[in-house]
Amino acid sequence: MRLSEAVRTGTLEIFSHKMRSFLTFFSISIGVISIMYSLTLIYAMSSRSKKALEVAGPGRMTVAMKRGGNSESAMDAKEAKAVITLEDAMAVRREFPELYMVSPGLKKWVEVSHGALNDEKVAEGITPEWKRRGWVYKVKGRFLNQHDLDTYARVCVIIEDGGWMKKPKWYKFYGWRDKFQDYIKHNDMLGQTIKLGNNLYTVVGILQEPPAEKNPKYFMGVSNWDPSLLVPITTSQRFLNGWAWSSGGVDDITIDTGKEATINAYKRKIEKLITARHGGRIRFEIKDYREIIKERLADKQRDMYTVLIIGAIAILAGGIGIMNVTLATIYSRIKEIGIRRAIGATRGDIMGQFIIEAMLIGFFGGVAGILLGMAGIQYLASKGDTEMMLLQWWMPFAAIFVAVLTGFLASLYPAYQASKLDPVEALRYE
Amino acid sequence: MIKCENLEKTYPLRKGQGFQALKGIQLNIGRGEFAAVTGPSGCGKSTLLNILGLLDNPGGGRYYFEGRDVSSFGDPERSRLRLEAVGFVFQSFNLLPRFSSLENVCLPMLYLGVEKEEAAARALALLEKVGLRGKQDNTPLELSGGERQRVGIARALANDPRLLLADEPTGNLDSRTGMEVMDLLRSLNAGGLTIIMVTHDQALARAASRTIRVRDGRIEE
Repeated sequence: MRLSEAVRTGTLEIFSHKMRSFLTFFSISIGVISIMYSLTLIYAMSSRSKKALEVAGPGRMTVAMKRGGNSESAMDAKEAKAVITLEDAMAVRREFPELYMVSPGLKKWVEVSHGALNDEKVAEGITPEWKRRGWVYKVKGRFLNQHDLDTYARVCVIIEDGGWMKKPKWYKFYGWRDKFQDYIKHNDMLGQTIKLGNNLYTVVGILQEPPAEKNPKYFMGVSNWDPSLLVPITTSQRFLNGWAWSSGGVDDITIDTGKEATINAYKRKIEKLITARHGGRIRFEIKDYREIIKERLADKQRDMYTVLIIGAIAILAGGIGIMNVTLATIYSRIKEIGIRRAIGATRGDIMGQFIIEAMLIGFFGGVAGILLGMAGIQYLASKGDTEMMLLQWWMPFAAIFVAVLTGFLASLYPAYQASKLDPVEALRYE
Repeated sequence: MIKCENLEKTYPLRKGQGFQALKGIQLNIGRGEFAAVTGPSGCGKSTLLNILGLLDNPGGGRYYFEGRDVSSFGDPERSRLRLEAVGFVFQSFNLLPRFSSLENVCLPMLYLGVEKEEAAARALALLEKVGLRGKQDNTPLELSGGERQRVGIARALANDPRLLLADEPTGNLDSRTGMEVMDLLRSLNAGGLTIIMVTHDQALARAASRTIRVRDGRIEE
């Protein structure tokens, strides 16, 4: 029996039992939809962490104080007196000049005023090496330099939001209006004097972010703690008043070894150096970027597993549905099986016929699921679900493949039963 | 063409017990014969026919089909031989109800791997031969009993078999259409086809060239 003939017969059989086939299609469709959804999520996650690593550079790690946990224990309280300081960063720089980047950061939540503007924003104190933390900006004016740091200059650089190439619909509803960003878009701030806390600062440069669609940082999640302003870290420590996590030191030191292979070696060396500088009385940790990305993605990962499990259950239910339908089909077609056997069909022919039929059910259900799922994913994407924008052309095919495979596996047992029927008995069956 | 030596067949009933349907059948049928197998119901006629048509395996004895011992054939070989060399005509026609007469006749050829167009052309010719010109697109439900049996015969002839087995081919037909079907079978026999027909109608049996009487699992000719 030729394949095309078996496919034709199968299709005929499926469409002559519309309700039965529809119900099976339905559960397969749900499975296919959730498979597509979770595939997109998985893909989005891996492409994001790849992008994030690309932006971050291969040898990135962060030195920061240990947060949370039960740090209130007597031992910890006694031990944890020291904090990481700017001097630690400078020592690391001195000790290991070969490092690609040693960039300390100190974020402060400060009051920003200029003309009609009065807003609370995050200003990050930095060193010029901040430039090496994934530079995605277009600069107007100039960036901060070593001279600014050495002279505690009261200068700042403003980071201007890149906006969107095409604003997603949700943004109009859910996107909060950023007073500060609105203000700097409508006023040329370069060279102006701006009040940060109690002091006046000169805006020496404006960094323009690329639009969100092209901004790899955006994919890592927008955070309230992303700075809007940059000031020299020395100035920040000495003059800038605002609320900060760190008391007296810096928030963190971001280090790039330049090579992935050297991360672990430097991790140990730097840990030893900082511990020694504080006489062991410091609780800090060094996280390399992979760990940080992993932590950030952990939530998404849970979502993904949930959806994947739902998908697997739906597919399983669909598979059981197919098995049931195939069994029912076989019982209602015992006579036909007998006739076909009498004509000269082998056991393999009978088995193939039912398997192909079940695979077709999987295929049609899969196609229906793809159509529905694509519509749903397009909808989510238009509503601003950035993960769903990453649907790849091969994902529907993978989902259909899974559906067809389900049909195949689910029909093996029933088809085998059908092929085992005694032709004489089957012919006599009424 | 067909040679049976001591054919036996027992159907299991309960553990250790069984119903012996055939008790040592000795039979020779030559090429081009038209044999009628008669006997009361339950005597083993149909069992014999199923074994001769390779649908069933004998429980004992030897069955030579065209000189080959087929009693020990496995399913693939028996199916293949059934496909190529044997045609079945049934009392209740046994057509696939959702398929047109043309598709029903095509079916055996498709199992043999004949191209669809070629099979359709040959099926059309066969339908014409059995007098069903213009009925190729009708499904069995749209045909009369006599017409259905003609489709059945056309299907049995699809792969140009050497042996035609008919189990009460006129049993579900009135006497006039029954005679027409018998005429068709006779003309096929005249064309050289070996036919074995099970019937309990003595008048029909007389139309055959030879009558084989089966009684209680044995042959009394």
